[in-house]
This record gives sequence, C-alpha cells and structure tokens, in this order.
Amino acid sequence: MAIKLSGEFEINKTPDAVYEFLTDPNKFAPLLPEFQGVTVLDATHFHVKVNVGISHIKGTADVKMELTQADRPTRAQYKGQGSVAGGNVSMIAGFDLSPNGEGTKVNWQGEAQIFGRLASVAGGLLEPLGKKQVQKLIDALQAALT
Amino acid sequence: MADEKQNGKRWVGASLPRKEESRLLRGLGKFADDIKLREMLYLRFVRSPYAHARIVSVDTSAAEALPGVACVLTGAEIAAQTQPFIEIGPGPAQNIKDYPLAVTRARYQGEPVAAVVADSAALADDAAELVQVEYEALDPVMDAEDALTDKSILHEGAATNQVWNGVWEFGDVEQAFRDAAYVVNIDRMHFHRFSSTPLENNVVIGQWDPKDEHIYYQCNNSFPSFAVQFLSSHLGVPIDRIRVQTADIGGSFGIKITSYPQMAVCALASKKAGGRPVKWVESRSEHMVSSAHGNERTFRKTRVALDRDGVITAIDSHHIDDCGAYPRYEPLGCVIWSQVFPGVYRFKNARIDFTQAVTNKCPVGPNRGYSRMQHLWFLERVVDICAHQIGIPADEMRLKNYVRPEEFPYLTPNGCIYDSGNYPKMLEVGKKLIGWDDWKAKQAAARAEGRLIGIGIGTTLDSGTNNFGQSQIVNPYAPFSGNSQGANCKLDIYGEVVVAVGSCPQGQGHETTAAQVVADVLGIHPDKITVRTGFDTERNVHTGFSGTYASQFAVSGLSAVHGAAQKLKAEMKRLAGHVLETTEDDLEFGSGEQGPEVRAKSTGKSINYWGLANIVNVNSAVLPEEMYDVTLNCRYVWRAPFKVPDKERKYGQLTLTYASQLHIAVMEVDRETFIPKILDYVAVDDCGTVINPPIVEGQVYGATAHGIGAALMESCVYDEVGNMLTSTFSDYIPITAVNMPKVKYGHVCTPSPHSYSGAKGMGEGGAAPIHTISAALQDALYASGVFIHDSFNNADSIFRVLAKKEGGQLAELVKLEKRAQANGATK
Repeated sequence: MAIKLSGEFEINKTPDAVYEFLTDPNKFAPLLPEFQGVTVLDATHFHVKVNVGISHIKGTADVKMELTQADRPTRAQYKGQGSVAGGNVSMIAGFDLSPNGEGTKVNWQGEAQIFGRLASVAGGLLEPLGKKQVQKLIDALQAALT
Repeated sequence: MADEKQNGKRWVGASLPRKEESRLLRGLGKFADDIKLREMLYLRFVRSPYAHARIVSVDTSAAEALPGVACVLTGAEIAAQTQPFIEIGPGPAQNIKDYPLAVTRARYQGEPVAAVVADSAALADDAAELVQVEYEALDPVMDAEDALTDKSILHEGAATNQVWNGVWEFGDVEQAFRDAAYVVNIDRMHFHRFSSTPLENNVVIGQWDPKDEHIYYQCNNSFPSFAVQFLSSHLGVPIDRIRVQTADIGGSFGIKITSYPQMAVCALASKKAGGRPVKWVESRSEHMVSSAHGNERTFRKTRVALDRDGVITAIDSHHIDDCGAYPRYEPLGCVIWSQVFPGVYRFKNARIDFTQAVTNKCPVGPNRGYSRMQHLWFLERVVDICAHQIGIPADEMRLKNYVRPEEFPYLTPNGCIYDSGNYPKMLEVGKKLIGWDDWKAKQAAARAEGRLIGIGIGTTLDSGTNNFGQSQIVNPYAPFSGNSQGANCKLDIYGEVVVAVGSCPQGQGHETTAAQVVADVLGIHPDKITVRTGFDTERNVHTGFSGTYASQFAVSGLSAVHGAAQKLKAEMKRLAGHVLETTEDDLEFGSGEQGPEVRAKSTGKSINYWGLANIVNVNSAVLPEEMYDVTLNCRYVWRAPFKVPDKERKYGQLTLTYASQLHIAVMEVDRETFIPKILDYVAVDDCGTVINPPIVEGQVYGATAHGIGAALMESCVYDEVGNMLTSTFSDYIPITAVNMPKVKYGHVCTPSPHSYSGAKGMGEGGAAPIHTISAALQDALYASGVFIHDSFNNADSIFRVLAKKEGGQLAELVKLEKRAQANGATK
C-alpha cells in the first residue's frame, strides 16, 4: 500500500540554516509524531523509534533511516525502513530548498510503502492517518524553524 | 419378525433426521481443537509481511531465550532435513521448491517464515513477535497475465511463472467460424478470487514420537489420504508410520485439503521438541491470508460462432488461471474444468488454450465447485451475452443449446459421458416456481419507470467422482488414475452392526446416509447401525482416494458401504444357514423379539446378530472348518470403472456422475446506491436418486448461500504491492442468514445409470448463483451499455462500471459480427 504526499511551505530562515536543521537527526527526528527516541550511528545513519497505531493495533516502529541525498543547501532526502505491528514500512522523504527572498521555500515529497498486517487490517484508514501525521511533522518543522 | 422398512419403503430416499444432529446441536461434537494432550505445545507462525521478498536473515535468539519457548524452526532448518513437496506439474514446474516455511524467499503475504513452539498459545504469540526477519523487498507479481511476461520470476528454479499450458481442441473450429451466421467476440472476462469461511479453521496436532518413530496427527484435513502421500515423501517417513485421524470437521468446502504444509511443520516441531505433541490452531486472519483461496481465472479473446437460429456452433478462447504463489494441488485445476467442457450445451467444436501462472498471492486450493465453476461461469456468460447480442430471450437461448433429454448418456467432445439429466425440465420447473411470466410483466412495467430489474438463469453441472487419470493429462508421469473408496461393515462381538468409512464428513450427513444404505441391505432400522465416520489410517478402511471432496460420497462412499454390507450379509447367510440347518434361499433378514436376526422361513427358527457374532468371535470351536473364512468383518473397495484418458487428445471419461442445477434470480440495482438486491430466487437441483431429501436440500441451500456470497459479497482483494486488504470479516464479508434471500427449492430426478442407487454426487452446486446473478445483472444493465465481465459485483463495482464507466463497457468488450448467413443466405 503506497501513500504519497507532497507540499510546500515557506520559512523565514536561509536555505543553509534549513538544510542544517533537516540533516541533523538530533533536531529533525524529535519532530516526528509520537517520537520515542533516536540513536545516531554516523553522519548519515540513525535509528528512530516512534509509536504508531490505529485503534487496537498499536506498536513501536523501529525505523532505520539513511540520509541518501545531501546537496547543501538545495536538497536533502531520507530513506527509511522499519518494522511495526507484524508489518514493515519503507519510506522516502525529500526536501527541495530554494531561496525565497530572505527566507526559504521548502518543497517536500513523502512516500511510504506499508506491508503486512497493518496494511491488511487498517488499509482504508492508513492514508488519512498518514496525511494527518505528515501534516503534524510539517507543522512541527515550521514551528521549529520559525 | 419384520423388515424394518420406512412405511414399507426403502430407507434410501427416506427423510430420516440426521443421526449426527443430536450430538452436534448439543455441543457434543468432537473437533480437533477440543483435543488436549499431555505436555502439549502450541505453535505460532511468523509470517512474511511482504508479498515478494528475499529473506536476508532470520534471528530467532530472542524468541528462543524466552522462558517457556520449546523451540523455533526456520525454513533453512526444514530444508536441510526434508525434501521439497511433490510437484504435480511437468517440466519447469518440477523445479519449484516448495517447503512449508519460506527458505530464501517469501512469495506471498502471510507465507510462514518461522514457527515458534511454546508451552502456551499466548506465549507462542509473544515469542513470535521476537523473531527478527530481515527482508529485501522484490517486485511483486499480482496479475496472472503480467506474470506470464516473466519480468519478475517467483521461482528461480523454474525460470518462468508459467506452471502449465495445454490446448483442448475438438471438432473443426475454423470451419464452424467460416460457416457462422454470427460471431461474437469478447475481449476479456474475469472470475474473481474468493475463498471459503468454515466455522472451524484449520487445526493440526502433530507428534513425532521418538519411541516408535511414528508421526501421529489429529487434525481436520479433509483429504488425508492425499496429505499423507505428500507428507511421507517430504518428511522421509514411510507412509505406514504416519497416522492421521480426523473427527468432526466444522466445514471445509475443499479448502482444508491443502493443510499438509502446516501438518509437516507440526511434526518437525514435535521432533525438535523431543516428541511432545504440537498443536496449531489457525486464526481467522491467518485463514483468510494464507490457507488457500479459490482459483482466479481470466478469459481472453473469446470468439463464439453461432448459426442463424442462435445455436452455438463453436467457441475459441484463451484461459489464464492464477494459482497463487505455489501450485500445490495444482495444476490439477488446469484439467478438472474439462470435466464439464461444454457445460450443459451441445456445441461440438471448441478450442480452449489454457495456461496457469504463479503470482505473489496466497496459493489456491480446491474450493467448492473447484475449477469447474470458473469454466461454467464463462460458458453462462457466453450464452447470455450472445443471446443479448442476437436478441434471443435467455430461456429460449438455453433451450436451443441445451443437451436434449433424449441424448443421454451424452458423449461430450472431449470424451466425458454425462450420465443423465433433463435441463429443459429443470428450466420448466424453475420458471414455474419463480413465476416467470409474472416477473417478465413486472420487469417491463418497472423498466418503464426507469428501474433496473434483470432476470437471470444459470444452468450448471456438479461433476462427481473424479477419474484421477486426468492428472496424466497434466503430467503423463503422474502415477494416479481411476477412483476408489473403501468401507468396512461388521458384526462386533456382541452383534452390533458397525460401519466404518474413509470419508471426512463436514456436515454432509455421512453417518446417516451410510446407515440408511446398510439398513436396507439388512432390513433393520438405521438407529441399530453404528457408523464410524472420520478418517483413521489405522482402521485400514481407506484407499488412496479417501476423503471428502469433489461431490462423490453418495456414489463412491455409499457404493463401498453397500458392497461391504452385501459382503457381510452373504457371510451372515452362510453362517445362519449352517446354524439353522437350512438353505440360504430360505433365510430372511429383519428384527424380531431379540433384536436384529436372521430367520428360516420354513421352520420359523431364528438366530439374532449376537448369536452369529458369538460363534465367530468367542465361540469358534463350534464353527465348521469350511467356514473358517467367515469373519463377519468385511472390507469392500468400490472402484469406479474408469480408463486412463488419452493424454495426447485430452480425451476420456473424467467423472462418473453429473448432477445439475438450474437457478433463476430476479435482481434489481438501485439507481442511487447501486446496491444489487435479490428480489426472488429459485434453485432447482437434480442429483439423481435422493438418499436423504433434507440432507440434499440442506446442501443445496448451503451451496446457494456460498454462491450468492461469492457473487455479491466475498472477494479476496490485494493492493498493488501484495497486501491482502480483505484479511478480516470487516472487509471480507461472508454471507450469513441475514443476507440470504428466501430460496424456492425445486427438484428434478434423473437417476444415474452409473451408480448402484441412481444417486449422483452433489453439494457443490456448480456455483450456480454466481452465474445466475451475473446473468440477472447483465439483463438489468445491458440497456445501459454494461457488460457483466466480472464474477464479483457489489455496489462499488457496479457504481464503477455504471456511473464511472470504468471497465465493463459493452461497446469496448463485446463485438458482434453479423454475416450474410444471418439473413438466410447460404454460404
């Protein structure tokens, strides 16, 4: 089950500052909804734990994240792979940064593939939930950068 | 003394209440999950979330460290100590390596990857969550036609996703098309994937006993004699060391035939756990995701030739069957449909190109109406769309094309012999029951008001008692042919009549019907006969074909029972003649003051069953030497008179009996909600001589419910990456009494010349409601430009084709060529 989302927002920070924030797991990861913890392995790899669940299907997702594109200060892209509630999730999240006056315009794209019990049982609910969670992340990101 | 007949009539044919009823209705049935053994362990599977993935690693250490966990099994471990399961298919299919746990690759969502065994079911659940499996996702193949492009291969060894291909060609197809007045071209039709939802899911208790190196199973597999053949070669254990017992089974519908992989895992887990019995009870979600589904089939580029009167003269079509991730019981389904090659119709020229492919979905297995219902649905769609295109009413179209009553026994183009039938009579009965003319008038009035009402007919066959020689059409080296069933009939030491059969009834009333047959032979009441149902290899009653499947017990099972009872009666006559000092012709059977007895008509002397049994079993010094062969314990094996089919021509008798069904439905599609509703429904059945009318009627209702559910409510849906989206009853909605319309039941009887009683196997119903509902919806929506091209039609799918114009558009899928011959010109 694929969930694809995209959007854009503007921030009153320079692209370099935004890029710095997005590529620092210790700053970026805590903004994830239901964040539980992060373990940074090296400059491009970290593990993040978040709580996920729909109704009675609940669990902790252990997601291995990798910064797969780091083009300062124009683009950052993460790929992630994790397991949760009898299933697996793989995701890609990309941020394209462009100057916008004194600030930055952020175009973001997210895609998640969900496999297993969660997708089977909660299929129809995943997309609206995913949208809600992504919006929370973007809101948190905007707040943190403001 | 009296022959205890039912009002002077035979017990066969009597509406005797089921002997099983009291036990089952009071909750006293004995099901596999009721069994609890000392030191029993519980097994849970760790299943793949991916439809297609490479297994990078399996880490079982955390699960094994949990107190109470006995052991964990992985696919690699099983592969190291077993052989892959037998593959029935030839050529590349022989290189498919099928193990009960995925070894290097998972090929469908829900495929078992590891098995955790613990002291309790709850502990096994917790431990299963601790098994860490690392996967590398691969491209899934979710459509059989895509699979045949081989862009992503499921089984590396086979190097192709095609499991099997064969062409059935009879008559002169091209000449028939040259001579045709009309040619109807149908681009694509699709029979959807659905399953069965028995009340009781699969259950296995397996024990690999180190004391005698035997494997003991108590389970609810419905074809154990097939399962043990697969298990023996897989596990490397002689077949005589595998004991399988079944008791009451809470429904199967064929789906439980393919539980042998889970049976293998339970045995291997027991071995690893030191011989403790291991129990696996399948959850509902597991059943939906990974037990077995029915075959999904796509029909491409169908051409139909008709003469100017609307008689079908030829069919040419390409059929692509989706068997899921592993063939298992397949590719038998590639040939089983040809038992009903022309359906109930008379056309002689046909070419069917049949291909089967693997996809990343749950493996398929026999499911009520197995393989034949897909083909019968195809034929019924062909008949209806041709009728609509040419402008012939559906009932007239059928009467023009039905095999005629005087043509029975009817030889089909591929050598099958339809034993008996009267399809026009069934149509007449059906039309009368539903009030055909009234509904036609109501339909016309309703249509004038803009309502979408359709009337549909489905005429189908339920072929019973397989010739397993058809497996040789699939693979010439397959060591199977014919069919047989065993039964045992005895007087035990105290004179009780005890019958044992090798079947695994799941509600078909074998206990009752077997007693009725024996009661007629011995002239006693069925209540005086004990029937031991349920399979047990150590009873030595079974043959290699024993089990309950493919609509055959009334023919094969009861013929075996009848034969065993006749043998017992013959021995009783010899013995009683000696004791009563008279000839066998002078003896009569019945019940007297001392219960069941044999009496000399000339003297009035009698001996009861206890007396006869006493002499043979515990008083044998009085038995004369010439009667030492009398055991009063008689096994009889009934064999169907089949020959091996012609493998090259795909020609021969593939089934012994052909029960038939004719259903009529009146349906309305709501113009605002698109909900299809059944307004009236008739089911007419012909299963030859009826052994027990309420049992037959009950099975007709059951099959009708299953078919209506399949047509309107039940569909196995996958998303594009292979997640099954219908894994619970929230999304896969099985039919219940709430959704069932009132069914008007009718009966026609054309006795079979191929069975001793005239009975034909029944119970599968040919999936008649699926054809019938498609036909009724076609009739309702044809004027709206819709072609019912799919066997599943709920409100959502009707909305898509009717309102959104997504697929199912008549103009795109169906083309009519009208030739000069249609106007009376000669070619």
